[in-house]
Amino acid sequence: MIYLDNAATTLRKPPEVAKAVLEALKRCANPGRGGHAAAVRAGELLWRTRSLAARYFGLEPEQVCFTANATEGLNIALRSLVRPGDRVVLSGLEHNAVTRTLTGLGAELVPVRAPLFDGAAWLEGFDRALGPGTKAAVCLQLSNVFGAVLPVKEIGALCAARGIPFVVDASQSAGLLPVRPGEWGAAFTAMPGHKGLLGPQGTGLLLCRAQPAPLRFGGTGSRSLDQAMPAELPERLEAGTPNVPGVAGLGAGLAWLSRQDPKRLAARERSLLKTAAGGLSALGAELFTGPDQAGVLSFRLPGADPETAAEAYAARGVALRAGLHCAPLAHETAGTLPEGTLRLSVSPLTTREEIEAFLRISRGIVPRFGRKKSTCYLLSNRV
Amino acid sequence: MLDLYFTVRSVTPGQKGRDALNAAGLRCRLLRAPRAAAPGGCAYALALARRDGPRAAAVLDRAGVRVEGQWLRSPEGSFERVGP
Repeated sequence: MIYLDNAATTLRKPPEVAKAVLEALKRCANPGRGGHAAAVRAGELLWRTRSLAARYFGLEPEQVCFTANATEGLNIALRSLVRPGDRVVLSGLEHNAVTRTLTGLGAELVPVRAPLFDGAAWLEGFDRALGPGTKAAVCLQLSNVFGAVLPVKEIGALCAARGIPFVVDASQSAGLLPVRPGEWGAAFTAMPGHKGLLGPQGTGLLLCRAQPAPLRFGGTGSRSLDQAMPAELPERLEAGTPNVPGVAGLGAGLAWLSRQDPKRLAARERSLLKTAAGGLSALGAELFTGPDQAGVLSFRLPGADPETAAEAYAARGVALRAGLHCAPLAHETAGTLPEGTLRLSVSPLTTREEIEAFLRISRGIVPRFGRKKSTCYLLSNRV
Repeated sequence: MLDLYFTVRSVTPGQKGRDALNAAGLRCRLLRAPRAAAPGGCAYALALARRDGPRAAAVLDRAGVRVEGQWLRSPEGSFERVGP
């Protein structure tokens, strides 16, 4: 399979990830619940992963909380900050993990719109929108649909100056771009463990620089006589038995990433995207590309519904994602509703041969749908 | 003999404290706190040599590890609260 759906999950992981999962399944019991060797081993595994993540993201270990995915982390963050009727400013590229949660909370959503790859325009949009009465701001670092990189550091500075708590969705960027919640002034930063961090599905991290409200209540292996959830992190957010094998795999993924040169990884991924974009452009595809882009390339084939085109690719062994990518707001902002786009996304383990094979297969697919002149949406996309 | 117990609320501050103490050259052992030294139920303890107590307290304070209580274990196994 030519796997180019890494923005959904990185199917291919370094071999040590599966090995760590299996080892934890065989040897680790319930962490923080007992003094016997298997429980202590599990506790140490969690601690090593937590400490590694803390170093990777520039925080203290207790600020790193394990979650089931980025969605859980975003739910915790938003439920900690937002009450019914609160005004919340968000980028017009947010995922349903943000918009559905805010809608469920009864918040007033104020989306910022700007041309996809124009960082200055996004910053200006946030500057205008972050007015009095704003209770929170949410921004992704990297769009899961278009790969646009947003200026979260600068947006964070605007929020800090106005005393507005800032939440960052690093779902697509963690493992690919530098994630520095301390430099951004972010109260909470959420991410999955199974995408750029190369861990297994069912893992995630919430990086906390503010006191969160727990989403789950229950046993933490501490102060059992006290019926209130602990105030201290990470126990406050980690009631119940954690996903020890998953965390083991996440730790192995993080360890692998920590041994790489992040600039080299990023440059390699950019180069793969550029090759894909060049080949698709020659075939007359409609491309969504820009100067500040990473990991993800959205495109449409002339005359083809994205879902139909994705099926044609799947039939030839190419894994892409089509449709709205759980981010209808992003498609509304980019003007790609209702059909959405085809999305190609790479990982550190994507090879140049896979991109070349994808382009060869594309050359066979495009004539089925008809050809027209290539369209590139750069700074002036349809906003 | 590791007879001075610094109790902490849960395993995470215990692990952080252990790493800080080890980095400072202080020998310690992280273990489940005996019931007598965990009045709130279920806690962890850093067991240290009595002579290392003041230095350990300073190291843990610098590391941001909150100590819930300091307990001395008698040779018979009973616990007496000695601080903070």
